[in-house]
Amino acid sequence: MTQFVAILRDSFREAVDGFVIYAMLGLSALTIVIVGSMSFTPAPPDEAFDTIAQRFNAIIPERGRSRALSFNAGNSFKVSGVAPEGGGYRLRLTVTAQPLKAAPEAEHKQDGKDDKTPPGPKDVPGADSFRAAVAQWAGAPGKAVELDAGGKAGKNGGRKVKVSTPTEPTPEEQKAIPTGEMEAFIASQFDTQAGMTATATRVTDGVAEPTYAFDVVTAGGSGVRGWPHTTKIFFGAATLSKQAPLGVSLYVLEDWVVNGFGAGVALLISVILTAFYVPNMIRKGSVDLLISKPIGRTPLLLYKYVGGLTFIFLVSAFTVGGMWAVLGARSGFWDPTFLVLIPVLTFAFAILYSVSVLVGVLTRNPIVAMLATIAFMFLLWLAGKGKAFVELTEATRGAGDEGPPGWLVTLVGVTNTVLPRYRDLDTITSKLITDGTLTAAEAPLFSPAALLDYPSWGATFGMSFAFIAVMLALACWAFNRRDG
Amino acid sequence: MPVIETRGLRKSYGGLQALKGVTLTVERGQIYGLLGQNGAGKTTLIKILLGITKLTDGDARLLDAPAGTAAVRARVGYLPEDHQFPGYHSGYSLMDFYGQLYGVSRDDRRRKIPATLELVGIAGRMHSKIKTYSKGMKQRLGIAQALLHDPDVIFLDEPTDGVDPVGRKEIRALMAALKEKGHTIFLNSHLLGEVELICDRVAILQRGELVREGTTAELTAQKGVFEIGLAPGQTFPEAAAKALGYAVRPLNPAATLWEAGLGDGQSIDPLVRSLVEKGLSLRHLVEKKVTLEDVFMSVVEGAEPGTDRRDRKATAVGGGNR
Repeated sequence: MTQFVAILRDSFREAVDGFVIYAMLGLSALTIVIVGSMSFTPAPPDEAFDTIAQRFNAIIPERGRSRALSFNAGNSFKVSGVAPEGGGYRLRLTVTAQPLKAAPEAEHKQDGKDDKTPPGPKDVPGADSFRAAVAQWAGAPGKAVELDAGGKAGKNGGRKVKVSTPTEPTPEEQKAIPTGEMEAFIASQFDTQAGMTATATRVTDGVAEPTYAFDVVTAGGSGVRGWPHTTKIFFGAATLSKQAPLGVSLYVLEDWVVNGFGAGVALLISVILTAFYVPNMIRKGSVDLLISKPIGRTPLLLYKYVGGLTFIFLVSAFTVGGMWAVLGARSGFWDPTFLVLIPVLTFAFAILYSVSVLVGVLTRNPIVAMLATIAFMFLLWLAGKGKAFVELTEATRGAGDEGPPGWLVTLVGVTNTVLPRYRDLDTITSKLITDGTLTAAEAPLFSPAALLDYPSWGATFGMSFAFIAVMLALACWAFNRRDG
Repeated sequence: MPVIETRGLRKSYGGLQALKGVTLTVERGQIYGLLGQNGAGKTTLIKILLGITKLTDGDARLLDAPAGTAAVRARVGYLPEDHQFPGYHSGYSLMDFYGQLYGVSRDDRRRKIPATLELVGIAGRMHSKIKTYSKGMKQRLGIAQALLHDPDVIFLDEPTDGVDPVGRKEIRALMAALKEKGHTIFLNSHLLGEVELICDRVAILQRGELVREGTTAELTAQKGVFEIGLAPGQTFPEAAAKALGYAVRPLNPAATLWEAGLGDGQSIDPLVRSLVEKGLSLRHLVEKKVTLEDVFMSVVEGAEPGTDRRDRKATAVGGGNR
């Protein structure tokens, strides 16, 4: 144990000797300060509930459990009488629906008259856009189609999202919708659109269909993830977003900025920096000093490997932990899933560093170790991209849609079986952050990972651990075989 | 019981034989010097004893255990030749790091590190980064790290390399003090005068073979040769000396200094009496001493150099400083 601690401390000394670690920590500190300069101001309850209610035309089928999202634009939602109650609010939600019109041609034929001008369509009693929405919510999703994210091309970088077309419940199905189902739909919408628990009670006195009214009592207030916030940066100097759900802002920061860009940069710098550790240790003149001490070569190499991991662990713990604390303090929303990035980032680096150690032992050349690891990193990225493409295509294609080519599916399958599950790690992290920040309705719009199942944790970590074990076993074997 | 013992030790690097059946024994408390040209196999021998390099054949034992085991290494200090300390350490932190690897307790480290660095004369700079040290300071630090854990056996490979003459004298004194305390020192050095001054036993390794081995006194044993000088203007009686059975020859063109070689069991006294009887005045009489350098040169003279000579690489068979 003493030897292990000694080598960890030695690795730490080696890391802090150069300026790179300070540059990284400085960059991390700057990022934390910038994030700390952000303010998240919740909208007043009246405005907030009105904004939330405007999202209710987005429907998640299968009672909010489907990954598909469909839109029913026929209803108008209005909130009134918002008042605090308990830990939440009481409010009146009024839904003005569009009555279902009977098909004009059919009406005309039924009349049996021979007018040149057919009469206008008539309302179908007991059927309207709200009842249709409730039926769509309770039923299965429709056919998948691709839309621009946010509804407009160019938003979110022109990213496409998959949604489902709304199903068309029959008038009989609509008429059969009971009041309890409507109340459950409203309560579900508060949950899926705002991340807010609510109970809804239909009010019928003085309210005639196609208008509906509900008394809603919510639990939780402005701290919930779907509550609209105004986000500013640099201590209020610049506005980033107005009326955007808090969770979306946090998701963008956590998944796109930190898990995406930040993690990539951190991994790359760490690969470059730690590529020198093992070759420096085993170079002529250094290695004799170490292996003449009462420590075996295998533990020496493995301890040095762990020493390299502590480098990125400390950097990621500082950065992610710092951002988590600052974001929580500034927004009031403490998302523990963000912290999972610390071990995941360390584990992702463990995969890369095992390659660096093996190449370092074989060549004793830090530059070769570094380049080989970066090349391997690129290979994993490429394999992950292929896997993501195949998975997303499979996850979102409707019945009858053509899937990805067979050869690609095979290639991706084989590659991802042999290589460590780098992409799956990223998917798990993204999904955790998505689940921790976005509401069910926001997730498919913002997070590609939301459309995927959680990869098997056992397979992801098991295969990656196996890969690391093979790399390190080869490195130890080569180191033990070496004379001096 | 011997502290170091090798029997028929062999080491091959592919087709090159670095050691060709080396057998030697070092007793406790000795300072043992190993001499040899570059590439003679000296460093290879030490590395095998420490388990850094694997032997090809034969047997090597250290402290009554197979050489190279972790338990044995814990009782051994080692200063390698051409060592490179990590520049990010200070002298103190390096000693602390190595002390932990040796299993020295924290309290002992705190106590011993400054004391050991003081012993080698660099305590004043112990908190400076090693990258700011001179070569001599690094060498002193190397010696200090080999002594920190109070080892039974200390292997020093060229310990005075890069050290100034005053420093060399201090290191010699240090080795003598360590010997007094019962430590065994195994010394590799090119500095023959140094070895002669300090070592109890000396071995000469030539192209992987142990060609001479013995105490310093044995190796530099008297050869029965004297230098004789008479008072100015007097002539050495060459014929009379030869008649007495001495092999004589002038040592300079002016024949003012002569060398007289003794036969087996012969003494110099008859010659001295003869000179006095002839009324000659003896001004200089010294028994010629054979230095270790003489011995070494006589062994290696005309021999192939070691394997580290590029121009000899194709034909050489000795081990290098690997």
